[in-house]
Amino acid sequence: MSDDFINDESCGCSEYKEMSRRQFVGAAAGLSGAAAAAAVFPEWLPKVVLAESAAGERDVILSIFQRGGADGLNLVVPFGDAAYYTGRPTIAIPRPDATLPANQKVAALDNFFGFAPALSSLLPAYAAGNLLVMHAAGQTFVSRSHFDAQRYMEVGKPADVNIVTGWLGRHLALTPPMRSTAPLRALGLASGLQKTLVGAPKTLPIANPASFTIGGAANTATARQAVLAADYTNAPVPLNASALDAINTIALLQTVNFTTYVPSNAAVYSNSSFGQALKRVATLVRADVGIEAAQVDVGGWDTHAAQGGAIGAQATLASDFAANLAAFHADIIATNARVTVVVISEFGRNAKENGSQGTDHGRATTMFAMGQGIAGGRVLALGTNGQAGWPGLAAGQLESNQDLRVTLDYRDVLAEIVQNRLQNTQVAQVFPGYNYTFRGVTKP
Amino acid sequence: MSETEQLPASDSVEPQAPGPEQQPEQRSRRAFLIGALAGAAGAASMAPKAAQAQGRRAKPKQAQQQGQKDVFAVGALANAVAAPTEWSNSTVRLLRRATMGLNAAEVNTAKAMGYQVWLQSQLDHTRIDNTVVEAQVAALWPQLSQPVESLFSIEQGTLQQILQAQWIYRAVLSPRQLYERMVEFWSDHFNIDFDKVGYLKIVDDRDVIRKNALGKFSDIVKASSKSPAMLAYLDQTVSRVGAPNQNYARELLELHTLGVDNGYTQTDVAELSRVLTGWTIQGRGNFFFNPTLHDFTTKTVMGVTIPASPTSTGAAAIAEGEQIIDMLCNHPNTATFISTKLLKWLLTPEPTAQQIATVSGVFRATKGDIKLVVRAILNSGWVATAPLKFKRPFHYLVSAIRSSNAVVANTTTMIGQLNNLGQPLFQWETPDGFPDLFEFWSGNLMTRWQFASTASSLRTGQIIVDSAPYLTGTTDAAIDLMNTNFFGGEMDLTTRTSLLNYLKGGTFNDTRVRETMSLAIASEAFQWY
Repeated sequence: MSDDFINDESCGCSEYKEMSRRQFVGAAAGLSGAAAAAAVFPEWLPKVVLAESAAGERDVILSIFQRGGADGLNLVVPFGDAAYYTGRPTIAIPRPDATLPANQKVAALDNFFGFAPALSSLLPAYAAGNLLVMHAAGQTFVSRSHFDAQRYMEVGKPADVNIVTGWLGRHLALTPPMRSTAPLRALGLASGLQKTLVGAPKTLPIANPASFTIGGAANTATARQAVLAADYTNAPVPLNASALDAINTIALLQTVNFTTYVPSNAAVYSNSSFGQALKRVATLVRADVGIEAAQVDVGGWDTHAAQGGAIGAQATLASDFAANLAAFHADIIATNARVTVVVISEFGRNAKENGSQGTDHGRATTMFAMGQGIAGGRVLALGTNGQAGWPGLAAGQLESNQDLRVTLDYRDVLAEIVQNRLQNTQVAQVFPGYNYTFRGVTKP
Repeated sequence: MSETEQLPASDSVEPQAPGPEQQPEQRSRRAFLIGALAGAAGAASMAPKAAQAQGRRAKPKQAQQQGQKDVFAVGALANAVAAPTEWSNSTVRLLRRATMGLNAAEVNTAKAMGYQVWLQSQLDHTRIDNTVVEAQVAALWPQLSQPVESLFSIEQGTLQQILQAQWIYRAVLSPRQLYERMVEFWSDHFNIDFDKVGYLKIVDDRDVIRKNALGKFSDIVKASSKSPAMLAYLDQTVSRVGAPNQNYARELLELHTLGVDNGYTQTDVAELSRVLTGWTIQGRGNFFFNPTLHDFTTKTVMGVTIPASPTSTGAAAIAEGEQIIDMLCNHPNTATFISTKLLKWLLTPEPTAQQIATVSGVFRATKGDIKLVVRAILNSGWVATAPLKFKRPFHYLVSAIRSSNAVVANTTTMIGQLNNLGQPLFQWETPDGFPDLFEFWSGNLMTRWQFASTASSLRTGQIIVDSAPYLTGTTDAAIDLMNTNFFGGEMDLTTRTSLLNYLKGGTFNDTRVRETMSLAIASEAFQWY
């Protein structure tokens, strides 16, 4: 299975293959540190005094991006919409009332939506009221390019080619650190910093936090670090701080024993890169070292051909995705009220399957939010009138006669989490130019 | 060319510049020319100016509607840092400014030639014998010289790697070092994202950037305006009469010539976009004027009116566009904008008003002769007093290879290193190019330190760094040699002491020497030029 975005060759989408080469670009830098934030940040933003905020006041956020355009219609199935079945003759997942084993049909969440069997491991989190499922979600800006859609979603402002900071990066830059002494406030589990985090102070791309070193021989690393620490002591601002953060991050991560970490509630993370990334985030959360945000990517969702239905390529990927999210729920969310998870993807896929038993780039898809502070245990979907409902998959209801309409802007969801769970009072600057509407994503 | 011939020698362009061997006011290595952190108010007031001069895209539409300017401006930090007192030789200072990193042999050559002779030789770059390097480039990457029709059918990932590898290779090895610095400058000035245009960028790098890097400014702008890569990157290819796309027209004004909000209006942007309708590409990527897409009605750009001409031929319509481009290139605001940006690139993060006025004067007098503008900037008096500049990752990586006297057979393995360092070549998405700002790059030192470990341990493969020369004498001699190789013989005492202490702290062998070398490359002193 292709749990690795970088090496994903499972799809026939040439654009996507081309895109995977640019995995580092998000770095636009490996740019991080307060300095980089200053450099790419709107000068009209108020300069916050980076004092420490009250401990325990805000949630740690784990932001997950499903790269490739996840087919939400086959993750959370609108089995109550007959057009779903007529449009997908070979890949539709049978209704909950079908006479089939549970692993071959939808598990109903309500009388309209249900989990694909691949997501069944998330049923406990849903039943506990900690998992909110959202549908017909996405960005209102129309782009069927992975590159553009991911970019605009991550920067949090559609169609603005100039904005370089990410929504989560701006959130972090706008808020004081949860722990003033923390050398590392956020990390991207990637080789280059994802765009979502660009602009965040004290934030680094760290592909594997369990082996974060200055390189070279381990037995001289400490001595070499000491030389560099001394060398940069009197460097100009902010280079001195940057060096200190780097040294302290090494020291910080060395205090965390990743190899002996035992998840709570007998949770098991898989050995996929996604599973291991979530386990490392869990380890850092448990270690309570002042990490406020982590960005994790999970790829392979660009299912143009041989997508499968209840079983098959997407189901295999979704099973691993769900199992690890469920593990994170059992391990962290169930025991820690101050952690929120959010899952987005750049777009969904066509309502109807294509001639290759797959689906092409579409519009709306699913989103997920998880946490004790999330108003979960339900499916949040809106009709075209903005009220609870469903835009529909029938002819005449589709956008461009092919796609599920976006009726829930992903920024509404993120904005509510940023304000109510991350305690950021300047949401308008996290999502500039957007008049967000809270949709009851978080608990009152 | 009469203006050119009348131009005085470079050092007399700036009358107050001291001679090459006169040392300006000495300051501590750590001293700031300007206070460290500006307060919020100071930052806010500085920002628009900094943004303008940097030419960053600075006006998202939303912000304009809100009456806010320069939303993505930079300027929270005052960043002029004085050079260390050890930097006493003006020719070595020039080498730091005008090369991709110090190399001991080059330092010796330049010192023997003297400041002015070396500088002039670099400006006359076509006279520098480059055949060995170019033969190697041609042998390693024959695709680089192929036409678009051939490039089209080559796997795009392969081409991207080739484009990046040849940049690193030429920057490391080319004896035309100042030229390579200018190639980098123009590549950012006319930034194009490979991921949007693919193989077309190969042609742009070859036929626009490299062809004109030390030529006439108007030539490079005109070449860029017909570059299929640029026209595709900035959506000129989808612009047509009745529905002009303003993207390229706006950047032509804002980023390529006048500078942001520097003498044009939104109406001018719209009018220019109409002038340029029909400038598109055909086939696999050749410039093509398509009259069916062109708006032949009357247009007025910054007071210059192009009358309606329903029967205009393609050649006439192209000439109309070039007339406007010439007007832009000759506009005094363009002279100021480009001169300021070049001063920042080559000399100082904060050029003085007098420096800008002087260089702009040369720009105007020479009608944008880039060589003469660069020569005016790199006059010995200014170079001798210039504050530090922070190496961008590309510069840092290349300088480490140059200073370590590595044997270089190929450079493709360095592409991943450069990505890790945060400057994936030709992958800056927005049209403003990679920033040239200390604050922007100073945040991720860890990747530089990791690179230093890697670079110093290159014992086999495409790039080989030899430690033997450091092991022939004493530890002191080894540090002396590192001083010569990495610091132009001007290593400061702090760095020397810490490197020597580390070297002496273990067995004096290949491993220890390489670790010490990694610390030299990772040191603060090596981040600056």
